[in-house]
Amino acid sequence: MTENTQVKASSSASLKQQAVGFLKQFGFLLIIAAVFGFFSLYATNFLSSSNLLNIVEGSSILLILALGMTYIVALGGIDLSVGIAFDFGAAFAIVALKNYDLVWYLAVMVGVSGGLLVGLLNAFLVVKLSVSPFMATLGTFFIGSSVQRIFTNGGGPISHRGAPQEFRDLAVGKIAGIPSEIVIASVLLLVYFLFLEKSIFGKRIHAIGMQREAALVAGINVNRYLFWGFVIAGGTCAIGGIIGSANLRMFSPLAGYSYLLDAIAAVFIGASLSRNGRPSVSGTLIGVLFLGMIANGLNLMGLNFNTKDALEGVILVVVLMLAVYQQKSLGKS
Amino acid sequence: MVNELNTPSYLQMESISKAFPGVQALDNASLSVRAAEIHGLVGENGAGKSTIIKVLAGVYSPDEGSIVIDNIEQKNHSPASVHEAGVRFIHQELNLVPHFTVAESVFMGQEISSPVGLRKRQMRSRAEDFLQQSLQYQLSGKKLIRDLGVAERKLVQIARALIDNKAKVVVFDEPTGPLASNEVEQLFRAIRGLRERGIAIVYVSHYLGEITDLCDRVTVFRNGKTVSVLAGADAENSQTIIQQMVGRDITTLYPERRRVSEKFVLSCAGLSCQPYFQGVDLNVSAGEIVGIAGLVGSGREELIDVLYGLKKATAGTVELDGQALRVNKPHIAVKNGIVLVPRDRRNAGLVLDMTVADNINLASLDEVSTFKLERKGLGRKRATALADKLDIRPKNVNAVVRYLSGGNQQKVVLAKWLATGSRLFVMDEPTIGVDIGAKVEIYQLIADLASGSNAESDGAGVIISSSDPSELLGLCDRIIVLLRGEIIAVKAVDELTLDSLLALTTGGVVATAGALH
Repeated sequence: MTENTQVKASSSASLKQQAVGFLKQFGFLLIIAAVFGFFSLYATNFLSSSNLLNIVEGSSILLILALGMTYIVALGGIDLSVGIAFDFGAAFAIVALKNYDLVWYLAVMVGVSGGLLVGLLNAFLVVKLSVSPFMATLGTFFIGSSVQRIFTNGGGPISHRGAPQEFRDLAVGKIAGIPSEIVIASVLLLVYFLFLEKSIFGKRIHAIGMQREAALVAGINVNRYLFWGFVIAGGTCAIGGIIGSANLRMFSPLAGYSYLLDAIAAVFIGASLSRNGRPSVSGTLIGVLFLGMIANGLNLMGLNFNTKDALEGVILVVVLMLAVYQQKSLGKS
Repeated sequence: MVNELNTPSYLQMESISKAFPGVQALDNASLSVRAAEIHGLVGENGAGKSTIIKVLAGVYSPDEGSIVIDNIEQKNHSPASVHEAGVRFIHQELNLVPHFTVAESVFMGQEISSPVGLRKRQMRSRAEDFLQQSLQYQLSGKKLIRDLGVAERKLVQIARALIDNKAKVVVFDEPTGPLASNEVEQLFRAIRGLRERGIAIVYVSHYLGEITDLCDRVTVFRNGKTVSVLAGADAENSQTIIQQMVGRDITTLYPERRRVSEKFVLSCAGLSCQPYFQGVDLNVSAGEIVGIAGLVGSGREELIDVLYGLKKATAGTVELDGQALRVNKPHIAVKNGIVLVPRDRRNAGLVLDMTVADNINLASLDEVSTFKLERKGLGRKRATALADKLDIRPKNVNAVVRYLSGGNQQKVVLAKWLATGSRLFVMDEPTIGVDIGAKVEIYQLIADLASGSNAESDGAGVIISSSDPSELLGLCDRIIVLLRGEIIAVKAVDELTLDSLLALTTGGVVATAGALH
């Protein structure tokens, strides 16, 4: 390509890109609308306001884990241990309440530190030992799973029926009339949005994720960003775990695992929505709500819950196909 | 090889036009190449060289015009039909698998096999024979690609394209980019060998010295048009070629010298990084441009890496503005005012999928933020001011850097560091892959950096590492020469000529002086 070509081509391409980008978003919106319409017709009560609230509330914990995942994926990595951080958050909080009689807010802090610990292990492996994020977090996943089984003598739950009401309210209470889960998730959403999309830290994080070497040469302390990325993501996921444990008043080992694939799916659905294919906080939110809608709708239809994964898989493939197809048609022009 | 003037053209591209949205990339351009001829194709970035090569390759279909190869008009021009017609392309990138052997690489995708498997021995001997006979280079077919030098890899790449003996036209696209000057000669021998065999060669390069050395005729492109086809003495005169390329005279390629201050910006003593280099003493004054010359493997690249904290020094001290400093990470270098324009611009210099503005602001984000939140408008304004100053095209800081030309990309790298107000600029091959017009601008910029923005400030120190000796001689105040990891000469440019610098770099002079171990 020649300079002039590119100059002009890029300015006219940006128009075209906008058009294609719009189409791409529009295409996905069509899918959302189709699924939404389908459930509205065939799932009784799907459209009721209480059910829509259910969807949002039911998506809160997944959103929290997906935010942590978004951070790591933006850095160019992946975190397979979000579920472990979730479990450690739940375990630390429940044990702090049950065995040490801590006040609820101290228990919450202990829970968060459980997730930070998981993040620290990841950070140590990735930054100090230069293990790839995939392998490091897979290692943490195995270690963390095993530790939970050993601690619970093979995986029995630790329940604490006498958990204080304030702790329970983290999951079932209301703040200003809004379910507290939604409030907590929204606050985290806002914080992550400002941090990853609006702050100069976020710009550096995206630069590292796009081209690590260029970020390094531009004077960004890449290792520090990676280190804190894993630690903060661990802490964030632990908050999800704490809410989960507050809801059931118990810690059930390995419960966090069920969120792992949904969190990855949500982040990549979100990334495929953006024009440059980058993960983003807003994209992740859409991905999470979309997955929540499918789970809820299928549930209402009384379908076998197991079909949910299959349908989710099909939709995921369709969305990604759409993204690839549109990117190709963009590349050709 | 002397061609008779009326020899018919083997490859003939006539009146080719190709428009992209908003731009006429090729406008009635033509290119004709004879058999047994090395035909140079030159032009500034944006002149249409790459486009016509892609038209020839069948990647783009031309809006108008005809392509005739060996008297056969190419209808339904496609990459497959072009290959069938015997046209081969040696791309700039190497595209070889590091853990394959030479023979495996040469025959990749065109393996010779028997019903029971691959004929490895036959492939090996054919690969070796081809390299020996056609490319004048002896290389074992069993060697692994990762153990080869860049020039050897280039030869393997050529062998791979030509091993089927059906090549009639070979297009070389910037083949010497990563090569050191002695390796270039090796490649030239191979290319001349191909000419002996009657192959028509199209040679695209930014290095005019290569064009004048190698090519029999030269086609010059400007703004999508063929402006001239030079032959004979004209094709050997780089001034003539430059004039045709830019459409005006470039009288001075290099800027004037500046006043150099007495104060050292950088001062290294006994700097070592085993096993690459040792005992390097290096001083750079404010306002001074110091050149580093040396072959690939002389420790030149590693010295740059150590200065910037990409590699750790094993011994020695570094002082910046008189303060001792340990630079073991790039962010420490940047914080202290040492910045790098890296040789690998596309991987290390820029985040290609970010915009011009984001790249320019990336190293000084604190200055475009309030409470750590980015102020996009302010960032754009600041980037626009710098982009205007450096004349970065397109004049749109929201353009994605990936789609800029090499020269403009390099200006973005420079703008990023200008925004930080740094003390020492380390530049590794600052004009690699940059066309002549942008080169002149970049040279001027480097000189401006060194002389400082105003009269009372001292200006920055500049270190330039380059494999282009004339660039070093034209731009620098002083040149240090590295050979096998040691400084063998430190000379003011007035004491050097092109020949003496080349001799020093290759160890010639020192060898006769008996100082070579």
